[in-house]
Amino acid sequence: MTQAILHSIASGERTAVQDCITKYGGLVWSIARKMLRNPDDAEDAVQEIFVDIWKNAARFDESQSSETTFIAMIARRRVIDRIRHSTRRISPDSLDDVLLEPFTRSDRDMQISVEAKEAAEAMRTLRPEQQQVLRLSIIQGMSHQEISDATGMPIGTVKTHARRGLMQVRQVLGLGNAERLKEVSV
Amino acid sequence: MNEQLQESIIELLIQKATFGLDREELRQLEQIKAEAGIKEDDSFDLAAAAIGLVDLEIDEQLPAGLSARIAASADEFFASAQDQQRVPSTVGTESSAGDDEYQKIFTVEPRKSWNWLGWAVAAAACVALVVNVWITRTNPSPLATNIPTPTVSPEKLTPEQEFASLVSSQPNITKASWAVGNLKDLKEIGGEVVWSDEKQKGFMRLRGLPINDKNKETYQLWIFDKTQDKATPIDGGTFDIEHPGDVIIPINAKLKAQGAELFAITVEKPGGVVVSKRGKIAALATVETKTKTNA
Repeated sequence: MTQAILHSIASGERTAVQDCITKYGGLVWSIARKMLRNPDDAEDAVQEIFVDIWKNAARFDESQSSETTFIAMIARRRVIDRIRHSTRRISPDSLDDVLLEPFTRSDRDMQISVEAKEAAEAMRTLRPEQQQVLRLSIIQGMSHQEISDATGMPIGTVKTHARRGLMQVRQVLGLGNAERLKEVSV
Repeated sequence: MNEQLQESIIELLIQKATFGLDREELRQLEQIKAEAGIKEDDSFDLAAAAIGLVDLEIDEQLPAGLSARIAASADEFFASAQDQQRVPSTVGTESSAGDDEYQKIFTVEPRKSWNWLGWAVAAAACVALVVNVWITRTNPSPLATNIPTPTVSPEKLTPEQEFASLVSSQPNITKASWAVGNLKDLKEIGGEVVWSDEKQKGFMRLRGLPINDKNKETYQLWIFDKTQDKATPIDGGTFDIEHPGDVIIPINAKLKAQGAELFAITVEKPGGVVVSKRGKIAALATVETKTKTNA
């Protein structure tokens, strides 16, 4: 098994930097472009994300997540931070499509094959309403209030779906402490 | 940990993972985690990131120019880290602190075998300090009072010395003079503010800012820079004025500040605020040009 690029970066191997940019540049760019829309904002965000990656490389634990998911997490955090500071909002292409589309995309459509497949399978274990709320929240970047307004669900129901759905995905993907999860998931 | 605390943490972690937290919510989360002795937890963020991958289509690679800029900034980042000899220590610290954090949601941070040593040293230092203060206050030594304070301490610089050191050591430093804000009773204020983008460090020299009643209000600095929206300037920290005359206050920026354009001191409730209503502005300092101290 080859050493994770992030471990190489953490141990000071400068050559790993270019490997990281080559391997994950498309992923980070796609996340930034999808969530920020504006190309200039996305470019600025991507530069910041890679600095965050260098800083956090040593925190990567391959027993807890894949390198792809870890880098996607860093990218999401930075992009969300930018969105919140700029008060710009993510504009969904078509809210109707999002509301209606279930997680039934074929595997061949998934670009990040392994991680996306696992996450899609985890999503399929959820109730349709939970899937819908997580799609609107995580993929479209809508706040709980906005989801409530768009779907007509009471805000409390939106929060409950988000909570239960995310906890279940977290459990199915083997993240966090499953035993503890049981105590707090109801 | 009680159930209510647990519920609050879960709610904030889920909110953080799905839509992010504002500053007040982040502060609240950090406070609750500290109270409960909970370590950082990434599991909800990782779950959200995984869900985000499902619909993601990677239909284009990084633009070539951007890729080159990232590589160049990486060179700068690692060179800077090496210069400051931070890479091994920082990485090592974060690594050891984060080794098992993903598995430890809602578990109390485990004590490491040598942790007691640090506490013991700290406790001994505190005891020594208390004894020293007690002795000097109750039985001041004439010898001690007659010894002049050394102008340069190798261990800890005074704020004045740090201020001077920063100004003299940084070729490009942001500098601006204070002017009165909108407080009716404050007619004149003097001093300046200096800030180094490179060091992320700065100081305020203030003259004429009234002594505040710490139980009722505090002063808070705000940094308006090129990276932040003007509606959400960077919190530069709270401070109190305890005596008249010149005072030097270190800046405690909560976020990285780059290209500061304006500094503002507002009067806020004790402890400060996340977002200022800007009702009471004690002082303003507008940056006109960066000072070349070596020129």
